Amino acid sequence: MKLYEYIIRRLILMIFVLLGISLIVFYLARGFPSGIDPVTPYIHSKMTAEQIEMVRKIHGFDQPLAIQFFYWIRDILQGDWGITGTWANSRPTNVVFFSHFPYTVELSVAATILTVAIGLPLGIISALKNNKLPDHVSRIIALAGYSVPAYWFGFVLQLVFFYYLSLWGLPHLPSSGASGMEGVVSCITGMPVLDGILAGNLGYTLDALAHLILPAFSLSFISMGFLTRIVRAGMLEVLRQDYITLARSKGLTERVVIYRHALKNALIPAVTLTGMFFALLLGGAMITEYVFAWPGVGQISLRAVFQGDSNFLLVYTLVTAAIIVIANLIVDVLYVFLDPRIKY
Amino acid sequence: MENSEVGTTKSEWAARWADLKYTLYLLRKNPLVMAGIFMTFFFIALMFLANYIVDPKLANPAGYPEFGGNYPFQRSYVWSKGNIINWGPGIHLYEGPEFFLLGTDGWGRDLLKMIVLAIPVDIENAIIITLGAAAFGTLLGALAGYVGGVIDEVVLRITDIFLSIPYLILALVFATMFGRTIETLRFSILLVFWPTYVRLMRGQILSEKEKSYVEALKALGAGHARVLFGHIIPNSIYPVLVQATLDFGSVVLTFSALMFLGFSPSPSLPELGNLASDGYFHIFDAPWLMMFSGLTMLLIALAFNLLGDGLRDVLDPRIRR
Repeated sequence: MKLYEYIIRRLILMIFVLLGISLIVFYLARGFPSGIDPVTPYIHSKMTAEQIEMVRKIHGFDQPLAIQFFYWIRDILQGDWGITGTWANSRPTNVVFFSHFPYTVELSVAATILTVAIGLPLGIISALKNNKLPDHVSRIIALAGYSVPAYWFGFVLQLVFFYYLSLWGLPHLPSSGASGMEGVVSCITGMPVLDGILAGNLGYTLDALAHLILPAFSLSFISMGFLTRIVRAGMLEVLRQDYITLARSKGLTERVVIYRHALKNALIPAVTLTGMFFALLLGGAMITEYVFAWPGVGQISLRAVFQGDSNFLLVYTLVTAAIIVIANLIVDVLYVFLDPRIKY
Repeated sequence: MENSEVGTTKSEWAARWADLKYTLYLLRKNPLVMAGIFMTFFFIALMFLANYIVDPKLANPAGYPEFGGNYPFQRSYVWSKGNIINWGPGIHLYEGPEFFLLGTDGWGRDLLKMIVLAIPVDIENAIIITLGAAAFGTLLGALAGYVGGVIDEVVLRITDIFLSIPYLILALVFATMFGRTIETLRFSILLVFWPTYVRLMRGQILSEKEKSYVEALKALGAGHARVLFGHIIPNSIYPVLVQATLDFGSVVLTFSALMFLGFSPSPSLPELGNLASDGYFHIFDAPWLMMFSGLTMLLIALAFNLLGDGLRDVLDPRIRR
């Protein structure tokens, strides 16, 4: 099978997976009378019962579930994603989603960079000093990373780097939000850091970066552990192989053996993990965004849950699932370039 | 009986015993695993003893007859004067007759006592969820791997679907639809964790069912059910056990995260995420609520992760010797 055939096969499969996801979530969101009423975003408190019934009829919420699903899919494909409730000023769902999405992208990119920048060296050191002190230390950091409750870690960071530093009169980091200077530069990409750079406004950029540090570190600490462990395992596996012994016996320096020969092969599982982690983050890190009041899609979706807004929830789930499925595909295709032994 | 022909002989039992002794030796040698084992035992013991150490009535208004059957709201969010930690300005110091080592929560209850009462709630629910997910996933995965064909394909695609939905949103949507009860929360988290076991077990079964002992069993006339449940599953259960121990930490964190985000059946329920959630709007005037309930959560998750991490190393034949 050629690579492009494989990609086409996967894309076709993806349609079915996305259809399955929409079926499940649609059924969850609309199939139960005890749950969210789909008419909620379209009504307000001053409407009479008859008017509400009329709205229900207009939007087809009185139809059988299968027909509602068909209408919903048709509308999604035509670009009509419905409107949100009054909690988001009844704006179209896609407008709400994509106005908050850049914030999530910025946070995800920052968190992923930090994860790789800290987790990768830690994993390599851990493998090279196998079962020695650095290995134990990195193991404990990794374990702490995936045992820590996200809300707690964010809170401790806020307490230390915002509250106590400011209490003692030291320079401190902002505790919440994505930017303290709203409206100073024009919104081009929607990502504060990038907008600041594009506008050439150093103060704004630095302020946006300061807002980014704590939430990004909080997220990366959690995923760093997984990356460290997988890099360590990969390195240990590769270092045992014959070609490494050969490289050493050729007289190559340890540096070249490790960074040029071993690392490249050890990184393959790490690439998958990082890709999946990035995709998951693009779906919004609900807890961290909530704790740091970060205006990303995770926090917005949480509000939609509590406001009973099924339009937003359905779109949100579908888009994030699509991101994850596409990321999966990209990672699998990347494999071919990283490891020439793999053929599809 | 055919049992004696296919079963284990005496020398094999001796080998297994030696293997077990070696495993225990490996476990003893690893300080991190030992720490995990002790912490796990501590929390499990606390799970059974909590209601004897602290009167469970103290979680409800009924536990405070001296306040007329109400929560002691007059001492909500207070920190005992003379306590070791100094949180800085802006907190309410309490000089009453009682001493609260970890301060009080919004209902004026002793936080330390509430944490003790919360530990069984969290661990119990996490055990139920993990076992449920592992049992369901293992059975489905075993079936898919053993039968193969269309069933295998369908099961795999369904796990694909579940793995592609962001896990928190799946649990949130489910919990929103079916109301905020403990049962709903359990089921909504189970929904997130079962697919891993399907993949894991299916992979195990695929390699296990090709082995010659399976062929021998079939030649002896053993039925499918006996081959699968009596031999193949027991032979490939170790990775599932390790995965379950590791998942336990994530389950307990997810459960408390949902509670923290506001999916608790009752805001006064002593549960670690719930106690932390009480402190969310008081992070600077009552930081102890978040601090200590989160710390307890961290220790519980750490205990099981240490145990699972160590078990994986010890049971993995590639790293073992």
